[in-house]
Amino acid sequence: MNSPDYASRIVFAPDAEQNGLANMVAGLILQNLHDRPDKRADFARLRGRISIVAEDAGVAITLEFSGDMLTVHAGIAGIPDVTVRAQSDDIVQMSLLELTRRFALPDPRGATLREIAKKSRTGQVRVFGALLHVPMLLRLTRLMSVH
Amino acid sequence: MAHLFPSEPWATAYKNAVNDNPLYASAGKDWTHGTVALIVRADPSIQIDEDMGILLDVHAGVCRGVRYITGVAARSEAAFAVEGPYDNWKKLLIENQDPIKALMQGKLKLTKGHLPTMIRYVESSKQLLASAQSVPTEYRR
Repeated sequence: MNSPDYASRIVFAPDAEQNGLANMVAGLILQNLHDRPDKRADFARLRGRISIVAEDAGVAITLEFSGDMLTVHAGIAGIPDVTVRAQSDDIVQMSLLELTRRFALPDPRGATLREIAKKSRTGQVRVFGALLHVPMLLRLTRLMSVH
Repeated sequence: MAHLFPSEPWATAYKNAVNDNPLYASAGKDWTHGTVALIVRADPSIQIDEDMGILLDVHAGVCRGVRYITGVAARSEAAFAVEGPYDNWKKLLIENQDPIKALMQGKLKLTKGHLPTMIRYVESSKQLLASAQSVPTEYRR
């Protein structure tokens, strides 16, 4: 199967290229799209803005998905549909979420999900807008998961 | 005895520190993805006239060898390369900073290598850095 040129579909807004978190997340998504054709449908369907804030690192980005296209902004850009606020370690943990074989949903038996759920209860990981945008969050989870 | 960072003696001491770190042996036991280069960018004001790299031959939780070579050679030979200016490496070593945080802040950059693999072995990366932090180090400024 030919791999579409995703590098041209993931672009940085001005200043975002200097942002380490932006580089990491964009690099991870790009590599996953190249390696894993099963993730491409999620990329095509994602629409909306998701902000990620690494609180301990003092860095934030906004991912603006517009169907087979991603623009990565430095900081909070526009009004995000979903905002994830967590420690840098926990943001990396989120990309380690185990997915179920069927439907590729976060595996409730997985150690990573249980750890993140525990941190959500204590407020260490906060996700704003999740309940209103469940499909968006699930697609992002699949797109960013290294599994 | 403290070793000048970066230098050949420091690199050798680093190899020993990695092999003396049981947490690295455990976190890196499944690592079979190749060599890792830590590259310090050129800074002539402290006699680093060109980019210099510490190339770690890590495999299955053991550091089998280390070389102190130019950044160009390190980039070409390594499967993974992490780069940054001298002061950022120094800060990372002195302040026991988290490497992931440093990457997110743009203080260090992964310039070569498969990012999802690096993320899968995030604990191993942390222990590599923790090993570096245990090396008695003399800084150039």
